[in-house]
Amino acid sequence: MRELALHILDIAQNSIAAAASLVTISIDEQPGRDLLRIEVADNGRGIPPEELAQITDPFFTSRTTRDVGLGLPLFAQAAERAEGKFEVKSVPGRGTEVTATLRYSHIDRAPLGDLTGTLLGIIVPNPELDLIYTHYYKQKSFLLGTGEIKSTLGRIAISHPEVVSWLRDFIQAGLDDLYGGE
Amino acid sequence: MNVTKLVETLGLDVVSGPFEREIAGVYVGDLLSNVMAKAERDNLWITIQGHQNVVAVASLTEVAAVIVVEDFELEEVAIERAQERQVNILRTPLTAYELVKKLINLGI
Repeated sequence: MRELALHILDIAQNSIAAAASLVTISIDEQPGRDLLRIEVADNGRGIPPEELAQITDPFFTSRTTRDVGLGLPLFAQAAERAEGKFEVKSVPGRGTEVTATLRYSHIDRAPLGDLTGTLLGIIVPNPELDLIYTHYYKQKSFLLGTGEIKSTLGRIAISHPEVVSWLRDFIQAGLDDLYGGE
Repeated sequence: MNVTKLVETLGLDVVSGPFEREIAGVYVGDLLSNVMAKAERDNLWITIQGHQNVVAVASLTEVAAVIVVEDFELEEVAIERAQERQVNILRTPLTAYELVKKLINLGI
């Protein structure tokens, strides 16, 4: 995929398909340590150990519509291409944690891409889901928790157009501040 | 033209196959998600990628053959999967540009 954000969206969609009520996305950008770490964790139904062993095999899929599944294999390949590592941990009944660690400066590392669009693409169609997003860049951090936002909104849906517009501005401002004009 | 004839004409290495397929058109690309979106059934797909994900994408898009250019290596597991799934994988030392010129001259 041309952006790492699309992998994040894909993994989060797996989490939602696995009946997760909470998805935690953490991005840690540390150019000084030449490190980019992306973690997506959920409290969904988890993956049985016999399936976990084959999770990055593109010919293994839990889909019933086709016999090829490329979401995790492509993310794993994107990490490997940037001299990184890819790991999936899962406990059936408790959840799954997908972690990709990439070499930040690697010439073949895909850009992070449209994180605002990705987060809205997770939040808006899944208003019941709680999303916790943490993004570190060097010493700075940006945190978004939809649970707190929903509790402040009361009976107004988080997918309400005016709320979505505010969220877009809030996330974009948070990310802009994170990079501090870089 | 079919894959067997193409192999003979251009002297391509056969890594997996040749399985009988007619060729219609060409797609060049290394970004697999983009190939999934753009490559069409019976295309020749030209790439430098040798990961087993290539076989999965070739299988999904039903391309006639994958041609790995610049003699890039293929993972052993990719070759095994291609043979199991009857996916044609061919290889050449030519660059994508040089290969495409030859394909155009062949009328593909």
